[in-house]
Amino acid sequence: MDDSRAARLVEVVLRCYPARWRRRHGAEAAELGVLLIRDGTPVGAIAWSYLAGAVREWLTPRSGWRATAVACALLVAACSLGASAELLASAGPARAASTSQAHRPARCRPGSLSLEAVPGVMHAMSHPQLLIWEAGHGWSC
Amino acid sequence: MSRQDGKAGQDVLRRVGEASVLILISLADGPKHGYALIQDIKELADVELGPGTLYGALDRLERLGLIESLPADDRRHPYRITAPGAAALRVHLDSLERVSAAGRLRLQLGGI
Repeated sequence: MDDSRAARLVEVVLRCYPARWRRRHGAEAAELGVLLIRDGTPVGAIAWSYLAGAVREWLTPRSGWRATAVACALLVAACSLGASAELLASAGPARAASTSQAHRPARCRPGSLSLEAVPGVMHAMSHPQLLIWEAGHGWSC
Repeated sequence: MSRQDGKAGQDVLRRVGEASVLILISLADGPKHGYALIQDIKELADVELGPGTLYGALDRLERLGLIESLPADDRRHPYRITAPGAAALRVHLDSLERVSAAGRLRLQLGGI
């Protein structure tokens, strides 16, 4: 392969790099490729090295990407929490209705907390989220 | 502020790879551009650094604040080792020297 064709091949391979990299190193990298070819370095070795470098460059996380990844992770976590809360909220009233309505103590007043008197509350003790939900609705004295 | 601040004595080059260490060693005696680095490293360590590996290592070292790019001379960007880079190289070479000495001693003791 003559030098001009080899140089052209190197330029083609350099297009695999991100634009940001090409703006910074592109011209110099092309010139370096030509110099190495003149020194007798096989074109294939140069092209392969640049190709592997391009793959690494695409795979290397940038600081901006990292921030985006963290933001996405937080969003996913928030969505998961929201979904869990929604599930609990939809399960809570049904459970509460089946327990509290039937066994609601007659003398239930604010401040007269008796957990044993309300079977549903003891069950909810093993599910803190249920207890919180029921406490939030005021009738699980 | 450089990422090297507050890391005095820590061998930050342990995980950067051989190419990065060779580049720092090559830059220790003055600024060089890509082609000169490849030639120098070939003479110095008999290692043929691929151009893709070279630019990857240069970017990594620059991000770490261990080298800096000088204004372009024609199309070529010379690179220069920074003070934290020189300190990190010194720590790494000291560490290699200790390991090397221990290895030689063990070979002597083992009589191999």
